[in-house]
Amino acid sequence: MINRRDLIKGTAAVIPAAVGLQMLGTKWAFAADDFSGPVDVLNYALTLEYLEAEFYRQGNQADLLTGKAKTYLEDIQKDEEAHVVALKDTITSLGATPVAAPEVDFGAAFKSKASYLETAYTFENLGVSAYLGAAPSLLKEKGLLTAAASIFGVEARHAAILGVLGEKEAEGGVYNGAFEKPATRAAVLKAASPFLVKAQTL
Amino acid sequence: MTHLAHLHCPSQRDPCMNHEKLPPTPVDQSDPARHVFGGQPVLTFGDEGQRRKFLRAAAVVGFGSTLVALSQRDKFALADATADDLEILNYALTLEYLEADFYTQGLDGGVLDGRDLELVTPIRDHEQEHVTVLTDTVKSLGGKPAAKPKFTYPDGTFDDKKTFLTTASTFEELGVTAYHGQVARINDGDILAAAASIAGVESRHAAVVADLLGGNPFPSSFEKNKSMKAVLKAAGPFIES
Repeated sequence: MINRRDLIKGTAAVIPAAVGLQMLGTKWAFAADDFSGPVDVLNYALTLEYLEAEFYRQGNQADLLTGKAKTYLEDIQKDEEAHVVALKDTITSLGATPVAAPEVDFGAAFKSKASYLETAYTFENLGVSAYLGAAPSLLKEKGLLTAAASIFGVEARHAAILGVLGEKEAEGGVYNGAFEKPATRAAVLKAASPFLVKAQTL
Repeated sequence: MTHLAHLHCPSQRDPCMNHEKLPPTPVDQSDPARHVFGGQPVLTFGDEGQRRKFLRAAAVVGFGSTLVALSQRDKFALADATADDLEILNYALTLEYLEADFYTQGLDGGVLDGRDLELVTPIRDHEQEHVTVLTDTVKSLGGKPAAKPKFTYPDGTFDDKKTFLTTASTFEELGVTAYHGQVARINDGDILAAAASIAGVESRHAAVVADLLGGNPFPSSFEKNKSMKAVLKAAGPFIES
């Protein structure tokens, strides 16, 4: 029997149908407590999008890629930049202040084509899990929810294609099973922290 | 109230970057046939026969019947689930039945090999898992799962790789817009999380199939959405009974 908490935290490799059902039958324990409100969720998403947009800006500038990979990662950069703009506009339209872009350091990520693609792959899958983990906190904000979901789906596309470009196994590489796995805010911060120069309240 | 609700980019890649104010594009409740799949109408409703097929698809999903099911449901069922949620689950189930059936037939046809086969085989498995989980979930809510319809595909759909994958791409993009069209209608947080976890996987499928076809895996910076009516209209011709 797979422990439900493991399942939610994404450490369970496979979700049998019966467990999937069990997953549906119980509240997602962490979600409501992770965020203080819609703006908090949006600023969390914005920080991740800043991180991704800057990552691709630097990576594409390093000129490591050719052909299809180059085209795809340029498109992905534009997507992330579009997400940043949309999230900032939305936070502002809600009368709140968008967080500033974090100071980042991607270390040796741009040393080679392989390290660039591998780091991108990690970021995208982290982004997918982060959005999914935050989704229940937007349950009552229907417009925001639809919009956040529309970004989440595109992150999933990025993640899959980076798996293809990295020539990863289909299952467990390009795909992570029949269901995306959510991640808690704490888990996302931990995964992102090596790239953040200062401690963030992500 | 929200700006973000309207941020869907109207066209291919750049508009979101070029507009201070993003154009309003609410959930599309209008005639679907014109805009399904990037403005290339694959299915239009020109005649009475097609309209009937849509109505049949609607009946398969069980509009209305879920209300009865819900009134009889166990009080232990999810607290916030509503008749809408059951209807959405049966709607999703019907689409997953279609996808599972389609990939099973397609892979049985044996037109894929190598990396193509490796990447498409898990898609079939995922769709089958979605069917199982959605069926179980409807039952757990005290509802009646939609029965598996009998599907029909145009002649030659499974005869070669290109036709098979082109049809697959159609279904995947349709599935993505279907899930995204329901996000705002779901009332229960757990059902939302589950539906979203499936939607993300459908996005992966859509991207991979587009790539296998040499197409664009990232047609927009934001996933688009379609109303239930629009999606059933598009799926109707594949549902025989």
